Amino acid sequence: MSNVVHISPKGSHFMRIWVIAAHTFTQLVRMKVFYFLAVFAVIAIASNFFDLPQHEGPEAVGANVLRSIKSWSLGAMTLFSVVLSVVATALLLPKDAEDRTLYTILAKPVPRFDYLAGKLLGVLLLVFVSLALMDALMTGVLHVRTNMVVAQQVEMATAMGWPADAVASLRAETLASGPNASLQGAVFAVFLRASIMASLALLISTFSSSTLFTTVVSFLIYFIGHFQADARNIYLQAGEAGEGLFARVASLALSLVMPDFQLFNVIDAVIEGQALPLVSLAKLTLVGMYYAVFFTFASWFIFADKEF
Amino acid sequence: MAESIAAVEIRNLVKEFKTSFRRKPLRAVDDVSIRIMPGEVYGLIGPNGSGKSTTMKALLGLVAPSAGQCSIFGRDSMKVDSRDEVGFLPENPYFYKHLSGAETLRFYGKLCGLGGRELEDRVTELLTLVDLEGARDRRLGGYSKGMLQRIGLAQALVQEPRLVILDEPTAGVDPLGSRQIRDLILKLRDQGITVFLCSHLLEQVQEVCDRVGIIFRGKLVREGKLEDLIAIEDQSEIVLRDASPELLHQIRALVESTPGASVVRTGKPRTTLERLFLREISEDEP
Amino acid sequence: MKGWFKILLLTLAMLVFGAMRLPYEAALFKSLREAGLFPPELGIGTRDKIGQTSSAVALGGLRTLVATFLNLRAFTYFTEQRWNDVEETYNTIVDLAPRTRYYWDTGSWHMAYNAASYYINDSKLPPLRRREAWRMSIIKGRAFLERGIRNNPDDWGLLASLGFLLSDSNKYPAFRDANASFAAAAEAYRKAADTGKAPGYVQRSAFYALARVVGREAEALALARKLYGEGPINRTPTMKALLFVLEAWENPKMDLKARAIEIYGTPENAYEALSVHWSRVRDGFPVHGVSAVIPLLEEQLSISKENSVLNRPLPPPGGPDEWFR
Repeated sequence: MSNVVHISPKGSHFMRIWVIAAHTFTQLVRMKVFYFLAVFAVIAIASNFFDLPQHEGPEAVGANVLRSIKSWSLGAMTLFSVVLSVVATALLLPKDAEDRTLYTILAKPVPRFDYLAGKLLGVLLLVFVSLALMDALMTGVLHVRTNMVVAQQVEMATAMGWPADAVASLRAETLASGPNASLQGAVFAVFLRASIMASLALLISTFSSSTLFTTVVSFLIYFIGHFQADARNIYLQAGEAGEGLFARVASLALSLVMPDFQLFNVIDAVIEGQALPLVSLAKLTLVGMYYAVFFTFASWFIFADKEF
Repeated sequence: MAESIAAVEIRNLVKEFKTSFRRKPLRAVDDVSIRIMPGEVYGLIGPNGSGKSTTMKALLGLVAPSAGQCSIFGRDSMKVDSRDEVGFLPENPYFYKHLSGAETLRFYGKLCGLGGRELEDRVTELLTLVDLEGARDRRLGGYSKGMLQRIGLAQALVQEPRLVILDEPTAGVDPLGSRQIRDLILKLRDQGITVFLCSHLLEQVQEVCDRVGIIFRGKLVREGKLEDLIAIEDQSEIVLRDASPELLHQIRALVESTPGASVVRTGKPRTTLERLFLREISEDEP
Repeated sequence: MKGWFKILLLTLAMLVFGAMRLPYEAALFKSLREAGLFPPELGIGTRDKIGQTSSAVALGGLRTLVATFLNLRAFTYFTEQRWNDVEETYNTIVDLAPRTRYYWDTGSWHMAYNAASYYINDSKLPPLRRREAWRMSIIKGRAFLERGIRNNPDDWGLLASLGFLLSDSNKYPAFRDANASFAAAAEAYRKAADTGKAPGYVQRSAFYALARVVGREAEALALARKLYGEGPINRTPTMKALLFVLEAWENPKMDLKARAIEIYGTPENAYEALSVHWSRVRDGFPVHGVSAVIPLLEEQLSISKENSVLNRPLPPPGGPDEWFR
């Protein structure tokens, strides 16, 4: 054959996925998604003023504020990342199909997997960048405030005649509730959970007929996913508790099909000052990737011979 | 050898859509075969819903044939590499509103594996070709219908494909814009690019196509060179200017006095293709 | 047909995928619980637990934020003296944020201190009911702290708070058995000190509580000697007084005066400190040998019998019997 092949579709999957991801990122940015960051900045700063007049000695001074900053910031990150992951993913695919832009893309030598992976990666890229910016802001505010609180506490404790070892212990405890590695790990856990949600929404949107359906079902699964661990426990302990066959089968089905979002509740524990070991974070990352990859391939499986 | 490979080869294409559970599936395309050679401009005409778009989608691998086969330059349409050398402009396209004209072309160019200086040059070249240099950095949200159609055409051409597929390229475009698009198609033909277009606007097809196919209710009812189709062998047409009613009467009497000849119709001349089309579908009516 | 087949295949893949991750997730869940990232399993039935914490679980990532809001609300209830609402709100808060010492501490403080003090002065109720309400508030505060400790066994602060509550002279009369209450306080302080993170006063507090347990004087004396030997930081006036008292309990025949002067340096210091100790009736400290040594010191310091601290009236006991008359 004397056909001259200008471009080979093989060998440049990454390039194409990257082009679509970068484009999706731009698209979302130009949809003014980053305006949320301004809202976040207001939240992070406003959370500084959440202090109550309370009892007790130096150890209570300002401790509330540090927790409040973390709660507000990570809460806002959770909401933003989950909502954005679901809504953006649920919106972008049907929009492309409706506007027929999908035709123009698939009429180019673009494998359908590349298209899906690119869209997902684009959404995740946006979530990641947003979370990184929010994290930087939170860490900054927390850093400044922690130093203020420590200075206050040390001054008060010294004035009350606390022995040096008690002051040092108090200081160390307060510094530990400031910015630390576990907190960054928690932000990464927020991102992992968002990745699962985005890939889940991608899967649903490949067979759903409307954005609304995708969004509602995704959030429903998100909610139910928080109880997957309980279903799993019921299944695993069914023998002892003496549940019936139906309960056993139902709990097994639930724990096999639903993702386990309760694992990500470690975020709450970190806000409360628990340390998140690197091993645990690595294991969580594995879980997140396991879901994201499976859901992406499942989406592709459905999408591969979908007709438009 | 390249001559022997058709740019478009559609063989016995059948496409059925499931409507609901129990009802019979809807047959959108029924045993259609089309073969387009490199360099040809082929027009597929038919009313809305006759299966034109479905045929094109099958050719592009956007829908899977229920039976039959499609290929582009010998490569199966269901395979990704068949789309290396094809550009497609869908009907009423909306491109990403948030991108400018140049960004749109760059995006599609990168999807085709272009990049760097080569891509930048190509973008400029295409914008000039479709007369949109002035709107280069304007977002598509602010483009008019005709401009969108032209940027769509430029997008289809970005990787210098040897085949361009246009679905209703002038639908909803004003006459001036329509003319610009027609001129562009002619320019493509001059460059030796194969064009496969479909339309329900007969004048347009007539002006640019070498060959046409008529599709109705999913069936290809007639196909051939434009002149051949338009010529009706057993009929002759006399087009007169400033003929008086008396003259017409005389001609009619003369014809009627000749054995075997008859007057089929008198009146003002019509677009021949439209007449042909109407005749074809009336014959096919069950 | 093909569509059905695909769905079947996908469902199958989903189940296999689920079966593959199930043991991994279960193990990870367990290891996270062991790392203290999930609240420990409480001794209540699974069903109760699901009912109690389902809302908390579903708020993943937002729980501490909601707890912050509820804490604000609880503060409003506190200022409005709506004690039942305060209690209920703190029960929800600790479901949401079981790892935060502050909420356990504050919740129990509201119950055992603020609500209890309120009932002492609540004129709307007859004395007997006020007394019962006071007692219940303190018991609730204690139970709340103990729950917090079960959730955070390593937290010295909660243990110290419990020790403080159980040995507080205004609180321990709420418990039926003062002796058991002091023993529990000593135990709580000891556990707090054993975490290794608590400041030094906690160890002394453990001793102050232990010293008040009738029947464990020998143990207390051993601890007193150990702490006293650790250096001047532990030689507080209370420590000195209790060391003397416990030694007098061990050996009533010892030379009381000489030992008192030895501990306090001068007879003046010994007399003053032991007089103070004698009048701290409400704290419930033992006073072995004090009434015997004070006349000896008075004799040496030429203090007349009329001015003797032993003849002065003791401060009123001030406890519930007085408040709820």
